Amino acid sequence: MTDALLELRGIDKRFPGVHALKDARFDVRRGEVHALIGENGAGKSTLIKIVSGVYQPDKGELQLDGRRIELSNPREAHLAGIATIYQELGLYPELSVAENIFMGHAPKIKRLGFDIIDWEAMERSAEALLAELNIDNLDVGLKVGALNVGNRQRVEIAKALSLDAQILIMDEPTAALTESDVEQLFSIVRLLRERGVSIIYISHRLNEVFELADRVTVLRDGEYIGTHDVSNTNETELISMMVGRTIENLFPKQAAKIGDVVLEARNLQRPPLTRDISFTVRAGEIVGLAGLVGSGRSETAQVIFGVLPAESGEILLNGEAVKITRPSEAVDYGIGYVPEDRGHQGLIREMTIRENTSMAVLESVSNRSFISRAKERALANDAIRQLSIRAISPDQVTNKLSGGNQQKVVVSKWLASNPKLLIMDEPTRGIDVGAKAEIHRLMSRLAAEDGLAILMISSELPEILAMSDRILVMREGRLVAEFTREQATQEIIAHAMMGASATAKSVGATL
Amino acid sequence: MQETRTDPRNPTVHDKLRRLLISQEGVLFLIMLVSVLFLATRTDKFLTVDNLLQQGRFMAEVGLIAIPMTYIIITGGIDLSVGSILGLTAIVLGWTWQELGFPLELAIITGITSGTIAGFVNGLFIVRVGVPPLIMTLATLALYRGLAEGISEARSARGYPEWFFQLGQGELLGIPTQLWLLIIAVIIFAIVLARTRLGRALYAIGNNETGARFSGLTVNRHLLFIYTFSGFMSAVAGYIFVSRVSTTRSDMGTGIELDVIAAVVLGGTSIFGGTGSIPGAIIGVVLIQLLKNGLVLTGVTSDATIVVIGSVLIFAILVNNFIQSRRNEGD
Repeated sequence: MTDALLELRGIDKRFPGVHALKDARFDVRRGEVHALIGENGAGKSTLIKIVSGVYQPDKGELQLDGRRIELSNPREAHLAGIATIYQELGLYPELSVAENIFMGHAPKIKRLGFDIIDWEAMERSAEALLAELNIDNLDVGLKVGALNVGNRQRVEIAKALSLDAQILIMDEPTAALTESDVEQLFSIVRLLRERGVSIIYISHRLNEVFELADRVTVLRDGEYIGTHDVSNTNETELISMMVGRTIENLFPKQAAKIGDVVLEARNLQRPPLTRDISFTVRAGEIVGLAGLVGSGRSETAQVIFGVLPAESGEILLNGEAVKITRPSEAVDYGIGYVPEDRGHQGLIREMTIRENTSMAVLESVSNRSFISRAKERALANDAIRQLSIRAISPDQVTNKLSGGNQQKVVVSKWLASNPKLLIMDEPTRGIDVGAKAEIHRLMSRLAAEDGLAILMISSELPEILAMSDRILVMREGRLVAEFTREQATQEIIAHAMMGASATAKSVGATL
Repeated sequence: MQETRTDPRNPTVHDKLRRLLISQEGVLFLIMLVSVLFLATRTDKFLTVDNLLQQGRFMAEVGLIAIPMTYIIITGGIDLSVGSILGLTAIVLGWTWQELGFPLELAIITGITSGTIAGFVNGLFIVRVGVPPLIMTLATLALYRGLAEGISEARSARGYPEWFFQLGQGELLGIPTQLWLLIIAVIIFAIVLARTRLGRALYAIGNNETGARFSGLTVNRHLLFIYTFSGFMSAVAGYIFVSRVSTTRSDMGTGIELDVIAAVVLGGTSIFGGTGSIPGAIIGVVLIQLLKNGLVLTGVTSDATIVVIGSVLIFAILVNNFIQSRRNEGD
C-alpha cells in the first residue's frame, strides 16, 4: 500500500452549542476500505461532510495526494474525485437508470448546431459502467422509482464511478438492505478496492467492519481515538474504544417477578398482516416478538395501539375488555408505543425535548387548559437526568440530538404517561452501543422494579434472546411459535421465523 | 414559539431584547414602523387619530378571520372558503330577516350559525373523507358563494334598524366597536395558541401529523374544531360587514381570503405548517391596511398602490427569510 491519498489533520469544527470535532484526523490510502466508527454524536457525520465539501472545517487541513486542498462546496469535492453514496437521496425516481447515472454530465451530440443528449451513447455507457461492477441484471431504461433499495444503491455507485471518483464515501450503506443485497454490495466494494478506489465506510455493525475493511478509525465525542489494522484488533477492543469503557454486559437483564396478565389479545384480526392473533403480556414481563420484516409484527402492535384498529377480536387490559379505535384511546388505557420509525412516528423532530416529553401527558402538565412551562420543564429535566439524555437544555430541538438520545426522548414521553403496557418497536435500531446498553438496562429496570409489561419487537435475535422472558414468533401475519427464555436459541427462532422448509441461517450478531 | 427554538441557557435582558427584535414579528414590526413614518412624512392626513381609528374599523373583518386562518395554516392546512362563508352569512342574515320575517336578533344568530356549519362541513370532509384542505375549501369557495347568490337572487337587503349599526359603525369609548371585538379576540386567541394544550396540539400537527397521532393527540378532533372555528369567525366578520355597510349583497367578502392569507403568511406563519403566531398575523393585517390607506392618501393611484403593496410584501418576506436563515445558521 502506498501513502495516504487523502489526509485530514487537526480538524476542528464547532456548531452553536456543540464542539463536533476536536483536532480530529483521518486518512485513506489508495485502494483500501477504511471503516469509520463511533457512537452517534461522535462526529462521524461531520467528518464525512467535511470530506464531501458540505461543511468547511474551522481549523485544520485536507491534503489530497500530498497537496493541500480546500473544498468549499460538494461540487468541488466531486471535481476532486470524492463521491458520497446517499440512501436514495441523490436520485430522481421519475428518471431512468441511465439518466440518473449521467445526471449533469450526459454525453452530448451535435445536431443542427445544437448540443443534444446522445441517448444511445448514454445508455451504452451506463450499461458498460454497470457491467464493470458485475451488475448484469439491471435494465438501464427502467425508472429508478421502480427499483428496490439495493438496486438504487447500485445506481448511486455507478453514478459516482461515472464521475471518476477515486474516493467513495458510504454512510451506513447496509442499513436498509436485505441480506442478499448486502452480499452483492460487499462484492462490489471489494471489486472497487481491487481497482484502486478508496472507500470510507461508515457502519454501526462491527461484523461488517471485520468482513470488509482494511483499517478502522474510531471517533468518540468528536475526538480521534485511534486507527487499527482490522487484522490486529477485535470487537471488544473496538467497543471499548468507542464507548470509552468496557461494556461488561451488553444485555443487562434483571430477573423480574412476573405478575398478573396486563394485556390479553384474543383472536385479533386485521388482514393481511394480523390474523387471529392471541397472546398475553404480564406485569414485569418482557415479551419479545420476532419475525422477518413484513411478517406483521409492527402491524399487530399498531392494532393494539389503535393506529390500525382491529376488525374483530378482543383486547383485555387487566382483565377488562376494552375497545381501542385510535391511539388517543390506547394512551388513555395506559398503553405506550415506541414506534419503529423514530423520526416520523415517534418524535416531532422540529419541536423541543420539553415539548416532546410532555406530548402524551399534556393534561398532567397543565393547569386547566394552560400548559405550565415550569411543570413541563421539570418533567423534561427529570427525563434528561433519569435517562441520561445528552442535551444542552430541555429547550433543545430534538432534531439536533443523536439517534440514541432521540430514542431516549421517545421513551421518556411514554414513561411520563405512566403506562401499564409499553410496546417497543425496534427499540435500539440505528443507535450506538452505549445508548443501546442504556436502553436495555432501562427496559430491564422498568420491568423488574416497576412491574411494567413490555412487548418488544426486534429484528435482532441477540436482543430478542437476551432481553425477553418469553418469545413469540410471527410469520405472514400469524403467530407461529412461542418459546420460553430457556428454550429459545437463535437457530430455533430463525427456523420458526422463516418457516419449516427454509433452513435456519444463523443471523450474524449485530451491534 | 420562536423563542423556544433557540438555546436559552442564561438569557440576559439584552439577549431577550435582541431575540425579540430579530424574531419574525420583531422584524415585521420594524418594517411597519418604517412604512408608517415614511407615509406620515408624505401626507398629514395619514398619521391622525381619526384616520387610524377608521382604518381599525376596516381591518376588523380581515383581522378576525386571520385568527383561525393562522391556526389552520399552522396545522399545514388552508381555508379558501372564508370569503364565501362571509357572503353566505350576510345573505342568510338579510334574507331570513327581510324575506322570512325573522326577528333581526334571530336572523343574526341564524346567519352566524349557517357560517359555522359551513366551516364544520369543510372540516368534516377534510377529516373524515380525507379531502385535502386546499381542494375542499376551493370547492366550497364556489359552492357557498353559489348558495349565497341563489338565496339572494341578486336582491340586496337594506333598511336595518338603527341599533344594528352599532357594531359596524358605532363607537365605544371613542374606539370603533368592532375594533374592541378584534382586540379582545386577538388577545384571547393569541394566548390560546401560545399557552394552551390546543395551541400545542396545532403546532404538533403542523410539524408532524403522524407523530402527533402516535403521541395520542386527537388530531381529527382538533382539525374539525379549527375549520368550524374558521366558519364561525368568518360569519362574525360577515355580520360586522353588513352592519358596517348597511346593506346585504351576495358578493360580500369576495377575495378577502387572499388578503387574509397574505397577512398571515407575511406575519411569519409558514405555509408548510408548524410555525406561526397570532401577533405576527395581526401585524401583517395592520401593515397591509396601513399601506393601502397611506398610499391612497398620498395620492398614489389604486393600480400603483397594489404594485407597491406587493413589492413591500416580497421585501418583507425576503428580509425575514434572510434574518431567520442567519439566525438558524449552523442548525
